[in-house]
Amino acid sequence: MISAYLEALASALSFDRSLSQCVRREVEDHLREAVAADPEGDGPEAERRAVAKFGDPRLIAAQFAAVSLARQTRNVGAAVILVIAGVFVAMKARLAWYAVAQCVLRDEMRAVSELVVSVDRYAFWLSIAVGITCWAYISSRRTPATFHSSYRRELHRFFLLCVIATGALITSVASDGVLTALRLFEAESPFDFLIPIFSMAIEVAGAAVLVAHIRTVTRRTASTAALLGTRAGLPL
Amino acid sequence: MASMEGEMLKGHLDMIVLAALSAGPAHGYAVIEEIKRRSGQAFDLPEGTIYPALHRLEQARLLTSRWVTAESGRQRRVYALTRRGESALAEQRAVWRQFSDAIGGLLAGVRPSRRPA
Repeated sequence: MISAYLEALASALSFDRSLSQCVRREVEDHLREAVAADPEGDGPEAERRAVAKFGDPRLIAAQFAAVSLARQTRNVGAAVILVIAGVFVAMKARLAWYAVAQCVLRDEMRAVSELVVSVDRYAFWLSIAVGITCWAYISSRRTPATFHSSYRRELHRFFLLCVIATGALITSVASDGVLTALRLFEAESPFDFLIPIFSMAIEVAGAAVLVAHIRTVTRRTASTAALLGTRAGLPL
Repeated sequence: MASMEGEMLKGHLDMIVLAALSAGPAHGYAVIEEIKRRSGQAFDLPEGTIYPALHRLEQARLLTSRWVTAESGRQRRVYALTRRGESALAEQRAVWRQFSDAIGGLLAGVRPSRRPA
């Protein structure tokens, strides 16, 4: 009986594998202790009573879904900051390489380059400002007991900030790509390409990871809202 | 005293869990037993609802947890209040007393005593 219940609970928590394993261990200890403490013995009836007192696994999973979602949104907030920092380091490494390799632009490229550098700079500063706001906003929110409408609004604001920060970062990375391409026209040996291309790959990968992460969590938000919506009639 | 309805407890679950842990570190089952004991069996919650609350409070850094091996040999997660949790409990306790005095006075038909400024 307990094993079947734990299976049902783990299955209902399958949206978060590590949480599922952790909760399963914790609940197993609870149920075994409840059976051992049952004054009427420790047989199958005691197991049935312990499971009945514990509650509907789908309802418990729905409550954990809100906790799991809150953790994931915080991770997204931290990821925004980390990716922006990673892009900054890659950008600085590339510029340092240009200085070492004495890679200079042709005069006819300078006008285009200056325009792209401006776009790059403003987009990057925008991503930093909004990214920090985004992280501070989600870190200051407390995980609610229920997935109520005000929490949904908070999440909506958070995702909006994430999209603005990521959009600005993508603009900055695209500008970096253009600037790198302009420089690489001047490159004389394949060796000159390595560091710029590697640093660009880091920037693109960072931005892609961020987009994927935000997309996953927005989908999870929708599924959690649906899950909790179907459980709205259940107590607690 | 009749068992209280889940809806009545919903808004106070965090405070109840923090209060139960104010006696000292405990695992989920012990927290539930402590809640039942201290409430005179009035708070008979579906036991599983305590765990999402424990995880949520830990996420809010009001609790901390660690895994230990119980005498039975099973792995057990033990929760404890953090300083932040103690402060949150003290704050919620003060708000609750004020609210309780006000409701008590209202139901008794007398003015609640005003706290000195």
